[in-house]
Amino acid sequence: MKAAILTDLTKCVGCEACALACKEINDLPRDSANHMLTAYTWSAMEHRNGVNIRRQCMHCEEPACASACPVGALSKTPEGAVVYDGRKCIGCRYCMIACPFGIPKYQWDKPIPLIQKCIFCYEKALKAGEQPACTAACPTGATIFGERQALIAEAQQRISSTPEKYQPHIFGLKEAGGTSVLYTSAVPFAELGFPANLIEESYPNLTWKVLNKIPGIVTTGTAFLAGLWWIVNRRIKLQEKPDETL
Amino acid sequence: MKLKLPKPSFWLITLAVIWAAGIISVVYRFYNGLGAATNLSDQFPWGIWIGFDILIGVALAAGGFAVCATIYIFNLKEYRPIGRPTVLTAFLGYVLVIVALLVDLGKPYNVWHVITMWNHHSVMFEVGWCVMLYTTVLFLEFLPAFFERFRMVFWQDLFHRILIPLVIAGVILSTLHQSSLGSLYLIVPTKLHPIWYSGMLPVFFFISALAGGLAMVIFESYLSARAFGKGIEHRLLAQISRVIAVVLMIYLVLRLQNMVERGAFKHVFDGSSEGIFFLIEIILGYITPMMLFFNARIRESKAGLFFGAVLTLFGLVMNRLNVAITGMARSAGVEYLPSWMEVAVTLSVIAAGLFIFRLASKYLPVFPREEKTGVHQPPLIEAGGSGKLAMGLLAGLLILVLAGFGYSLAVTRPNQSVDVPQAAQAIAAESLEFPAPIEFVQSEESPGQVIFNHESHVDTSAPNCKNCHAGLFSIRASKAGTAVQTRAVGHDQCGTCHNGEKAFNYEESCDGCHMSTE
Repeated sequence: MKAAILTDLTKCVGCEACALACKEINDLPRDSANHMLTAYTWSAMEHRNGVNIRRQCMHCEEPACASACPVGALSKTPEGAVVYDGRKCIGCRYCMIACPFGIPKYQWDKPIPLIQKCIFCYEKALKAGEQPACTAACPTGATIFGERQALIAEAQQRISSTPEKYQPHIFGLKEAGGTSVLYTSAVPFAELGFPANLIEESYPNLTWKVLNKIPGIVTTGTAFLAGLWWIVNRRIKLQEKPDETL
Repeated sequence: MKLKLPKPSFWLITLAVIWAAGIISVVYRFYNGLGAATNLSDQFPWGIWIGFDILIGVALAAGGFAVCATIYIFNLKEYRPIGRPTVLTAFLGYVLVIVALLVDLGKPYNVWHVITMWNHHSVMFEVGWCVMLYTTVLFLEFLPAFFERFRMVFWQDLFHRILIPLVIAGVILSTLHQSSLGSLYLIVPTKLHPIWYSGMLPVFFFISALAGGLAMVIFESYLSARAFGKGIEHRLLAQISRVIAVVLMIYLVLRLQNMVERGAFKHVFDGSSEGIFFLIEIILGYITPMMLFFNARIRESKAGLFFGAVLTLFGLVMNRLNVAITGMARSAGVEYLPSWMEVAVTLSVIAAGLFIFRLASKYLPVFPREEKTGVHQPPLIEAGGSGKLAMGLLAGLLILVLAGFGYSLAVTRPNQSVDVPQAAQAIAAESLEFPAPIEFVQSEESPGQVIFNHESHVDTSAPNCKNCHAGLFSIRASKAGTAVQTRAVGHDQCGTCHNGEKAFNYEESCDGCHMSTE
């Protein structure tokens, strides 16, 4: 099963139950602000233009962060979660640069910091087939857990049955190559602070297209340089001793 | 009027001050974290330690592989005199890059993970390996200077044998590394400004590093000639400047053509700060030095060469800062100006580089030839009036660019996020679905079962979960739909409201909550 979350912004009342449940299950400090993502708020509730917007990691199908991490501290599990292993992390923050959604956050206040973000309650729920704390806590069914294809079908059904209520757009269906967290909304996503210019190609592929040429560059380059050196060197030797055949 | 050289003591004091500030900053950074020492943030995670110390430090080292290839692969022996200084520059550049990297990394003691925990899909992984391997190669390439100094003939001979493979490895690694720093930004097509984002970034980084690395040869040769009368023949430097001109020309053609293809020029003249920074970069840092170096009269003059080299380096610095900082600022939506501690560490690194280079050139056979002329003035001052004018222009330019950086970053970018919790709560509550009634676990003294209903406890006209969750009561529901207690619930918690003020006092009415058992 490919786990996913569908957040229907038209149903959200902004109660922050998701944010609170997240803090509870992950033992995050409750006194930090809930309206934006930080290293200590992995699920945020932002109120913008009269809309309540749940923010969390998008859990990309092909995560840019996981491809960017030099030591594989971030990875996509078969269940669909993008998880983090702080023991591997070297703290280079390339994941933060790479993420098109700006999700990974850093413990700027700690001498030995970790990258932090929503991990889909992987160890505590998803691994055992249970839903994450946030969707379980939602009192209105605005954010629900399910199988990705089923949730896409559900979102499409909602949009087609009440087209006057929704934007004809499931955010996360194709963005950045598709994500495990999906959104539907009554207001265009660009007005809600969702990145509007995302490409639909997989982000990891952007760098892989170049990286996979390295073996070729190394072998051809070495052969070319060695050959060049041999030719130049031989010519010089021949000039010095024209009689000998080399 | 004759300009006097500052006394060494002045420079020593400056050096001491810079290093003291740098050391304090590093200690402070490791004690209090990056947030306290730098102006970095979640929106702007990479600052000048990456944009300046690392991207530029590596680029300036590019002269090393280009010169080695010229001398040993193409067998152009006349360039031999510049071999050692460039290799030393490159080696020092890389060592200092590593120092800066260790200060910037969140967990520097984990840096060795790159060796054992492979993620070959990561550009950063490639960067890490290139830094390690190429630093080793550069170290080996510079070793002969020690062998020569201490007359270790056996080792000299041994190194002579492995020199060619070493040079080839250096060229390959360096090519990969220079380009990979550009590849780092391939994954941010929607974050890096379109003036700079291009699929060709790795190629652009490679070519511009080549020009910058060669300009560094000219720059250093003059500085060292001035300091200890050791330097490189003007004729050779003039030849290098011709190569730089050609490299810059190729770069400009590729880059501008690529921008036309991507339709990026419309951003250049839209009055944005990015457009202005691009124009400064490309006109002053690439077009001007190219034209200078194509001019034979300029190449013949020391001042002309030096000025051209400085402009080439300026172009390289601008390009890297534009990619790492100017081009990323708009999408980040925040201002970033380095803190004094970031500046202090950067200056310390540069000062350390110059200091070690100076020591090495003094005590090791780095520069081949002793110049017989006596006192050396800075080349621009030596050139007389026009040189002074050029130097003035350069200083003015630097101030202008710094001011521009400050201004463009100080312009507050609008933040649309508004916190309006009231509006949120006013949203129709009819869509509320309360959890099923919750049966609290009974203790032995309990007079009867307590079943909690959200319906009777929540004001549906203004539902606010935060009144009770997640502090007083756990918010997490069980999978079956009936809520369970993840923490024991007792009079302490219910009594927060059931105190006779907000709601009836629990001490006065047991059967208000507890159901009688009969």
